Amino acid sequence: MKQYDVIVIGAGNGGLAAAATCAREGLSTLLLERHNIPGGSASSFVRGRFEFEPSLHELAGVGAPDEVGTIEDMFNRFEGDVDWHRHDSTFRLVVPAKEGDTDTFINEDGVEVTVDARMPVGFHNFAKKLEELVPGSYDSCMAAFDLSTRMFKAFDNLENPSKLVGSVKDLPDIMRMVSHTMNEGLDALGMPKKAQDIFNTYWCYLGSPGSQLDFLYYLAMVHSYIKNGTGIPHLRSHEMSLAIDDVIRRNGGDIWYNSEVTKVIMKDGKPAAVVINGEKTVYGKYFICNSSPNAVWADLFDEKDIPAKQLKMLNSRKVACSLTTVYLGMNKTKEELGIKDYSVFIAPDSDSDKQYEAAQDFFSGFCIINCLNEIIPDCTPEGTSQLFLTTMTFGDVMKDVKPQDYKKFKTKVAKDMIETCEKALNISITPYIEEIEIALPPTFARYLNTPFGTPYGYMLEKWDSMIPRTVQYIQDQPFSNFFFCGASQERGDGYGCAYYTGEKAGGIVVKKVKEGK
Amino acid sequence: MANLKSLKAKKFLSMLSYRQGRFDEAKAELPNFGDNAMALAKALHPKRQYLKIAEVVERSEDCRSYTLVPDPDRGTDALAYFGAGKYLTVFETIEDMPITRAYSISSSPKESLEGKYVLTIKLVDGGLMSKYIFDTWTVGREVEVSAPSGNFEYQPLRDAKKVLCLAGGSGITPFISMANAIADGDEDFELTLLYGSRDAKNILFKEELDELADKCDKIKVVHILSNQKGRCPKGMEKGFITAELIKKYAPADEAYSVFLCGPQQMYQFVDKELEKLDLEKKYIRHEMFGEFHNPATQADYPQSVPETVKITVTIQDNTYVVEGNSGDSVMQTLEKNGISVPARCRSGECGFCHSHLLSGKVYVPKALEYRRLADYKFGCIHPCCSFPLTDLEINVPVAK
Repeated sequence: MKQYDVIVIGAGNGGLAAAATCAREGLSTLLLERHNIPGGSASSFVRGRFEFEPSLHELAGVGAPDEVGTIEDMFNRFEGDVDWHRHDSTFRLVVPAKEGDTDTFINEDGVEVTVDARMPVGFHNFAKKLEELVPGSYDSCMAAFDLSTRMFKAFDNLENPSKLVGSVKDLPDIMRMVSHTMNEGLDALGMPKKAQDIFNTYWCYLGSPGSQLDFLYYLAMVHSYIKNGTGIPHLRSHEMSLAIDDVIRRNGGDIWYNSEVTKVIMKDGKPAAVVINGEKTVYGKYFICNSSPNAVWADLFDEKDIPAKQLKMLNSRKVACSLTTVYLGMNKTKEELGIKDYSVFIAPDSDSDKQYEAAQDFFSGFCIINCLNEIIPDCTPEGTSQLFLTTMTFGDVMKDVKPQDYKKFKTKVAKDMIETCEKALNISITPYIEEIEIALPPTFARYLNTPFGTPYGYMLEKWDSMIPRTVQYIQDQPFSNFFFCGASQERGDGYGCAYYTGEKAGGIVVKKVKEGK
Repeated sequence: MANLKSLKAKKFLSMLSYRQGRFDEAKAELPNFGDNAMALAKALHPKRQYLKIAEVVERSEDCRSYTLVPDPDRGTDALAYFGAGKYLTVFETIEDMPITRAYSISSSPKESLEGKYVLTIKLVDGGLMSKYIFDTWTVGREVEVSAPSGNFEYQPLRDAKKVLCLAGGSGITPFISMANAIADGDEDFELTLLYGSRDAKNILFKEELDELADKCDKIKVVHILSNQKGRCPKGMEKGFITAELIKKYAPADEAYSVFLCGPQQMYQFVDKELEKLDLEKKYIRHEMFGEFHNPATQADYPQSVPETVKITVTIQDNTYVVEGNSGDSVMQTLEKNGISVPARCRSGECGFCHSHLLSGKVYVPKALEYRRLADYKFGCIHPCCSFPLTDLEINVPVAK
């Protein structure tokens, strides 16, 4: 009877990184995935003559050519073959004017707005642009980047105790950042409210608004996007996932697709084997799980075997946001359409908490529009382009929708999103749609098997933010040989975050196997 | 940095105990919150549907409609709802040989809510599955099918309000479903059907189509007869679906979409005709035409391919070595050797059979090339439309 050193459940970004880490260290590794391809959200799909990017907006972990980002670094170490495209702008935030708004102006597109901020890469450039938009914000913005720079340095120094002394003076500030929210932190730095709103535009990448997300984590994220710009893979995320699949195979790991874990078998109070597709049992010493804890506890374990703490965690955390994405294959180029930016955030209000409140209902006017051709000009055939529109929702927003109403509902949401973009950018999209695919929370639920289809795990709330989760990681795991990774863990959503948790869980298991525990 | 000191550094420590307290206070039971997103995902995309045959209708000497209803004894209580135009993949085992086929649903979406799908199947010359179905599918017979799948649907944000549907033979099935969906108010577009049949005696769904056209003014039906002897019945056309004919029935001064469903030969002919009309690509949509045969007839098929090839296939922890004909797809060869492989559309498009080619070369007909770009880079293939050119070593996911 073969017993694997480690069985990894789920080939999302976390599971892929975990399996690659274990296989590369010589552990006998089995990666199990219920779908026929790897990646979870990191994938692609083909409609007509278009291949769409399903989820990736931009990777902060792929930075400037002269500085290797964290994700790039992982692929380099793995010897995973991905061609990167670098991108040296950040975002544009457009807040169309509403009735009653007084502080409005007509922007370059001829649209009446209250905010139109196209932000550049680089701390100084970013702060200068912010000052231009909101006078009196430069110093506070640079102070924020100074803080994040010192914080990253201190973290680097943690691994080098002789240098740590130099960072000791920064520790109180780091503790302050951990202890307070993004809004509180920026207030303390004296950043004007309107500048804070622009600064907070990326909040939706982590899914928690300014009053909830901790200052340290948000600042770290903004820092990594603004410092060096971002990157994306040449052949959609599917390239990244297949590259890691290739790493695992080259290092002797096994990957079984269409192989859904349907049961975990316990022995002596801890997991000993998994049943695949209800028929085949495979034994393992250690288990790394990339699935949603909600699905794992509800479907894979007998209730008596579930540690009480795991159930308590499910009941005390809030499920994070879900997404709706409209993928559009256009029979016009981006120039013909009048699209000038890779990423425009269109918001009904500039305040992140108000955006969050609005997202409690279905489509609230918040929409990110991306045009992949802006970074990869030849990602579609000549004369065409691809767009994707994203909005988020929280909770059971589908609750009144019946199967027979779903298609009409989908179309209605997509229409609202497209029209919102058309209005906000003063462009025409609808007549040029050659291919369209609409993914709503049920679509994500189907592919990710998470509550409400959330790709984000659990909401990073004040009391359950990144640092407490990191500090408590081992205590939060259910068994001594079973470790979660992915968006449900320390860092929440994001490719880099999921890779990080996978590598970390893999590292823990490698150490345990090598120590013979 | 003066004001940062206004923040409390030690607050973090109390956050950890607060967090522990939140967990301690919570209930130790599985949460039970309404999650209609997941409920919809499961209702619309069941892994399998276990059905029974409730009725068989002879439509012509070589065409039958099978009414399928849920089989609660095997775990299917209700049918998955679908958008008109979708297909079901049927799973069968013929003499130990696992085999699948995709058939468009010819009944309406509304009927699925009433617990009924209809598959209309034509007996194909030399066709393994259709013959097997004609021989064994009788009332009461158990049938296993996939969730409704495919992308051949009307999409109001993409397609023109007026759609010319060009059907050949049993390619009529998705259009019957679409026409009924329009009549039921579940779809909203104007459908003009140009339906090619051999002669007036061999028109499938003739009465049903007449009725639909009578009761719903959004539906128009024109029969086009290729081998009609003598005079053409009133309102019908003689010949083939030509550019001229399409123009005659297309709206003169507004955009229209063209949907095609029929055999490979029909596409070859009609696609050339459509070129003459110079329509935008977005307005032309094809349903897949099913399994591809005889790759050697293709202009870009390489020379001197060996007749027989050896395929070494690994599925999970099992490895098999089989021999096959280079004229058969990798999928066909595996199935002929009793190996069950993941299969849905069998036309390259859905990608469900996505597999790793570890060594060897395959030929993929251009029309069936739906692989993702990174698949080329990392040697991934769709076995349903890949034809071996050399001995192969492949890694295939387990059938599901």
